[in-house]
Amino acid sequence: MFGDQDFAYLQLKGDHMSRPLWIDPVDGHIILEGFSPIAEQAQDFLVAISEPVSRPSFIHEYKLTAYSLYAAVSVGLETEDIIEVLNRLSKVPIPDNVLQYIRSCTMSYGKVKLVLKHNKYFVESTHPEILQTLLRDQEIRSARVVPGAGGTYEAANALDNGKKKMVHGAENNSGKGSKAGTPAPGSGTVTPGSKPGQTDADLFSAVVGVDQDEIEEDDENTVSFQIMDDKIDDVKKRCHDLDFPVLEEYDFRNDTVNANLDIDLKPITVIRPYQEKSLSKMFGNGRARSGIIVLPCGAGKTLVGITAACTIKKSTLVLCTSTVSVMQWKQQFMQWSNITDRQISVFTAEQKEKFSGAAGIVVSTYSMVANTRNRSYESQKMMDFLTSREWGFILLDEVHVVPAQMFRRVVTTIKAHAKLGLTATLVREDNKIDDLNYMIGPKLYEANWMDLAAKGHIANVQCAEVWCPMPPEFYREYLREKPRRRMLLYCMNPNKFQACQFLIDYHERRGDKIIVFSDNVFALEAYAKKLSKPFIHGATAQVERMRVLQNFQHNPVVNTIFLSKVGDTSIDLPEATCLIQISSHFGSRRQEAQRLGRILRAKRRNDEGFNAFFYSLVSKDTQEMYYSTKRQQFLIDQGYAFKVITQLEGLHTMPNLVYKTPSEQIELLQSVLIANESALDFSGSDLMNLQGDQAQKARNRAQKYEAKRAVGSLSALSGAQHMSYIERNKTANRQLAREANANRHKLFKKRDVQKKQGANGA
Amino acid sequence: MSDQQHTAQLSPIHAFLTTRPQTALSRLYTRPSACLAVFRLLDDVARQIVMSLLWLDSKTGVDLTAWVVPNEDSRKHYAAALQDLVRLHIAKEANGRILLLPAFQSGLRRALTGGGEHRSFGVPCPGARGKEVMATEQLDDYASERWESILHFMVSSGSSAGRVPPPSIAVIFLLRRSGLMVPIGAERHPESRITSKGFQFLLEDSHTQLWELLLQYLAMSEDQGRDLVEVIGFLFMLGSMQLGQEYSTENLSETQDVMLQDFLDYGLIYRRNPDDHTRFYPTRLATTLTSTSSLAFTSSKHEKAASSEGFIILETNYRVYAYTENPLQIAVLNLFVALHSRFENLVIGRLTRESIKAALANGITADQIISYLTVHAHPMMHKNNPVLPVTVQDQIRLWQLEKNRLKSENGYLYEDFNSQGDFDLVLNYAKQLDVVLWENREKRKMFVREDGHENVREFIRRRAES
Repeated sequence: MFGDQDFAYLQLKGDHMSRPLWIDPVDGHIILEGFSPIAEQAQDFLVAISEPVSRPSFIHEYKLTAYSLYAAVSVGLETEDIIEVLNRLSKVPIPDNVLQYIRSCTMSYGKVKLVLKHNKYFVESTHPEILQTLLRDQEIRSARVVPGAGGTYEAANALDNGKKKMVHGAENNSGKGSKAGTPAPGSGTVTPGSKPGQTDADLFSAVVGVDQDEIEEDDENTVSFQIMDDKIDDVKKRCHDLDFPVLEEYDFRNDTVNANLDIDLKPITVIRPYQEKSLSKMFGNGRARSGIIVLPCGAGKTLVGITAACTIKKSTLVLCTSTVSVMQWKQQFMQWSNITDRQISVFTAEQKEKFSGAAGIVVSTYSMVANTRNRSYESQKMMDFLTSREWGFILLDEVHVVPAQMFRRVVTTIKAHAKLGLTATLVREDNKIDDLNYMIGPKLYEANWMDLAAKGHIANVQCAEVWCPMPPEFYREYLREKPRRRMLLYCMNPNKFQACQFLIDYHERRGDKIIVFSDNVFALEAYAKKLSKPFIHGATAQVERMRVLQNFQHNPVVNTIFLSKVGDTSIDLPEATCLIQISSHFGSRRQEAQRLGRILRAKRRNDEGFNAFFYSLVSKDTQEMYYSTKRQQFLIDQGYAFKVITQLEGLHTMPNLVYKTPSEQIELLQSVLIANESALDFSGSDLMNLQGDQAQKARNRAQKYEAKRAVGSLSALSGAQHMSYIERNKTANRQLAREANANRHKLFKKRDVQKKQGANGA
Repeated sequence: MSDQQHTAQLSPIHAFLTTRPQTALSRLYTRPSACLAVFRLLDDVARQIVMSLLWLDSKTGVDLTAWVVPNEDSRKHYAAALQDLVRLHIAKEANGRILLLPAFQSGLRRALTGGGEHRSFGVPCPGARGKEVMATEQLDDYASERWESILHFMVSSGSSAGRVPPPSIAVIFLLRRSGLMVPIGAERHPESRITSKGFQFLLEDSHTQLWELLLQYLAMSEDQGRDLVEVIGFLFMLGSMQLGQEYSTENLSETQDVMLQDFLDYGLIYRRNPDDHTRFYPTRLATTLTSTSSLAFTSSKHEKAASSEGFIILETNYRVYAYTENPLQIAVLNLFVALHSRFENLVIGRLTRESIKAALANGITADQIISYLTVHAHPMMHKNNPVLPVTVQDQIRLWQLEKNRLKSENGYLYEDFNSQGDFDLVLNYAKQLDVVLWENREKRKMFVREDGHENVREFIRRRAES
C-alpha cells in the first residue's frame, strides 16, 4: 500500500507526544502539528530552514530544499544547530539521508560572503578551510589582491584601518592578538582560527529564530581576502561553479564612499511584528544581506522596503512593474518617511527627473531600465545617470513577474551594494524561481497568510468558485473551435455574464467595492460595456486610468471597475472588498494569489465580522475547470478554502438580467465567432503595453493602422443575422470623463447659466 | 427506500422484531431478560407509557390521551410510540384505552423485581478456584482483535495488497449470505471478494455492523429450522450479562450451545480454556448488544480505544492525516483516500478525484465517506463547526454528482420505415405531440418517449389501415 513510503520503521521517541513534527526520509518533507504548544517556535525555525509547502489550520508541511538550507545558513544558522534543533523537535530520529542532505547543503552553501567594505570587495568566511579551497582555484587566485603586490589597494586599506586590523585577508580578533595586526608572510594562507564551541545560547537562538545572531556574527573568527573590483563577476561565477555560492552583504555603516541619504521613518510610522521579523533577517548582523522577502499582498511589503531603505540610508533605486505603482511607491515614501520631494524622483515614459543632492531615491520601472532599444535623448541621459553611479540599495518590487532576461540586464547594468526583492508569491509555472536565488539572493522570510489574517493584518477572504453551465449552442461551438477561440467562448458564456451581473448587483447593494478581472481584453470590454461599468486595460491612456481609479476610490456611484492584467499587481486599491474573476491566465497559481492580494488590504478589514469576497467564475465542462483547480493550489496550500457554488440563489428572478433570451445569447455567440484574431489574445501582450516610450510609440502606431477584418456573409452584414450597428454599449469611461467636466458646483452652474442669459439679453 | 429509512430510525433488531408474529413475541416475552432488552430498545415516550401501565392491574386499560401536551408534535410522538408498542405486541389499544399485554407485563415485572427460576439472565459461574478473574482489558483486546480480523479480511479481499488470513468458514458463509462478499474464482475453492454493499458496511460503526450480521444470522437460523425465539432470547441474554463475569452453559438449550460456538468466531464470546465447553465469558461486544448508545462499544474502551475514536484530520487542502497504526483503519481509509506515506503513528494521504471516484465505483456513497470522516474526526477537528471543511464536503458530493450526469429516459425506437414520406409523416405527428427524443432522417429512425408510444403506434396503425 505504501511501498517505499512506509516509515513505520522509524521508531517514535518515548516522549513523542510532546514533540511536534515528523520528517519524511524520502522527499525531505517535514510534517508539523500546528496545534502543538510549541508549534509557533517550531514554525519560526522551520520557515528559516525550509520551504513551506502547505499551511492550513492543523497540520503544516514544509520541505527541505537546497535553497532553503542555503537561506538558513545565510541568516547565520550553523549546520549542527539545525540538526540539533530539528532532532529536538522531531518525533522520530532524523533519518540518515536527511542528515546527510542537510550536511551536504549547508557545508558549501552560504559559507562564503562577498562583502563590499570601504568600497573594496572581500571574499569572507568563518571557515578558513573553505577559503583555502577557493584559493587553490586558479581563476580565483588570480583575482585576489595579494597584500604588498597590489600596492594601491593596500594603501587604501591602511588608510581606513584606524579601528580595525584589516591589513590582510586574514583577520582574527579572537584573542590571538599577537598575530592580528602583524602582517604575516603569505597571508593568503589564512589563519585557522580556533572555533569556540557553540554554546547553549546559540542553540536557543536557533530555536527562537535568529534574533540574537548579531552577537555570533560579530566579526569573530572571520577570515577574508580581497579581490579586484573588475574580477567580481568572474569570482562570483567561479564560486558558484565550485559549489560555494557567495553571499552578498553590504556593510553600509562603514561605507564612507557613498554619500549618506538623510532619510528616516516618520515617528508615527508603526512597523508590524512580522515586518520587523523579516527585516531582522535582512539586517541580522548589522549588514545588509541581499535576498527576497515574501509577504502576502496587502501585508505591507512597501513599508518593509521603505524601512530597509531608511536603515541603509544610501542612494536607493526602486524598480516596479508599472507607472501606476511607480506613483504609488513615491507617494508611500512621502507618507512613511521624512524624505522631501526634492530627494525622490521618478523615471518613467512621461517623467524623467533627477533628484538633487548627493544621494536620493529614484523610482522607475523594469522596462524603462532594461530597455535596450533606442531611447529618447532624455531617457538616455537618465539611464547614463543611473548606470554611472553606485547605488547603496536596490529595491525590486514584484520580483516574480519579471522575465529572467530583463532581470539579468537590470542586475548587471546597475551597480548596487544590496538587493532586496519583494514578492507575494514565489511560485512560477516555469520554475524560473531558481534564477532569482542566484541573481538576488536567498529567500530571507516568508510569512504565513492564515496567521496574518487571524491577527487582522490582512483581510479574511471567502473564496468561491462559481460554476456557470455553458448553453448548448456555446458548448457545440466550443467543441468545434480551435483551442484559441475556445477560450473566448468560455469567457463569453452568457451564464457567466449573468452570474457576474448578479454578483456585482448583490455586492453593490451590500456596499462592497468590486473589481472584476479579465485577462482577455475583448471579453473585458464586452462585459464592461454591457454592464456599463468603467474599465482599464493596457491600451487605456494614463490620464483615463487615473480618472477611473480615482472615481472608484472616491465616487460613491462608481462601485465596480473592470481591470485587465494590468491590475494584477501593484494597483493599490484598499477600497476594494470584492473581487470577481471572469477569465484568467491558464493555470497560473501566481496570478490567482496576486489577484487575491488586491482585496487583502481592504480598509475595512478590522471591522467586526468583515469578510472580503473572491469569486472565480468558470464555465462548466471546459478547460477552465481544470485550470481553475490548478490555479487555486497555492492558495489552498496557504489554508484558503474554495467553496463551489453551482447555483446562485435568485439569479433568474433578477430584473434586467442580461442575455436572458436565447436570441440574445445567439447574438452574443455570433459576435464571439466573428471576433478577430486579436480578441483571442490571452497571453501577456496586454501587459506589455506597460510604460516605456517605445510602448507608447507602438501604441500610436497600432492606433493609426488598426483595421478589423472579419469573415461574414452579406446577410450578416446587412443585419439579417441580428447584426446591428447601433452603439448600444457605450463605455462608462467616457461617462466618467464627461462628469468630471460637468461636475461643477450648483452655484457656479447657476452663474454660468445667468451669464449666458445675460449675454443673450444684452 | 422507505424501508431503509425505517431501519435507520429504529435499530435493526427493533425493526426486525416488529415483523415477527404475536405468538413468537409472546414466547419471547416469557424471558424476563428479553422483556428488559426490548424495553431498552423503545424510545422515551414508549418507555414512559410502559412504565405507567406496568403495575396497573386493570383489565380494561387506561386512556392516556389526557397526559399528552395538546400540540401537534406531542400528539405525533405519542401516536408513533403507541403504534410501535402495538406492533411489538407489548400493548394493545381498544376504544382509546391502552392495556399492556400480560406476557410482556409479567415478564418485565419479573425482570425488575428479580427472583424466579427462569435463569434468563444467564447463570454466573462461581469464581473459578485458583484462577484470577479475566481482566476486562483482556476481553476487550480479544474482542476487538477478533472482530477487526473479520473486517480486515473483507477489506483486503478487495485489494491486491496484503491478504489477510480468512476467518472460519461459518463466518465467510454468513458474509456471503448477507451479500457483503461474493465468491469468485475456482469452483471448488472459491475466494471471496467484497461487494459494494460490503464496502458500505465497512464504513458503519461497529455496533451497527454487528447487528447487521446478527440479523443475517437470525435469518440463517430460521432457514435452518432453529427456533428463532431461542436465538433472539439468547442474544438478549448476552446483552444483559455483566462484563468480566464468567457464565455457565448448563442452562442453555442445544440451539444456544451451537450459537455459543458460532459467536466465538465474532469475538462475542471468550473461552478461557478452549476445550472447556461448560463456561464462557461474554465480551463487551456481547454485553453492549442491547444498549441504545451506538458508541458504547468503542467509547468505553480504554486509552487505546479513546485515541482510536477520533484520529482523522482533514484539511482544506484535501490532505488527510490519520493518527493510527491500526491496519484495519488504514485499510478502510485506503478505500477512498490516496495514501501517500505512513509513520509509526501517522498515515498521510489525500482525497483526490480519482480516489473518491474509485470509492464511488465500489458503491460507497459520498455521504458515507463524509459521515465516516466526521465520526472519526480528530478531537482538534471538533473545534471547527462544522467538523469537516465545508468545501471538501461539497467537493466530495460534487464528485459524486459528476457520476450522475447522464439522464436516462425510457422510450421506443422506431425504424424500418418504408419510405421517407412515411417517416416524415410520423415524425411530424410525433413532433406535434412533443414526444420525440431523437431522430435521424438519413437512417429513418426516431426515438419516442414512453408516454408518447401509445399514440404514435396508434397513428401508424391507422395510417397502415387507411
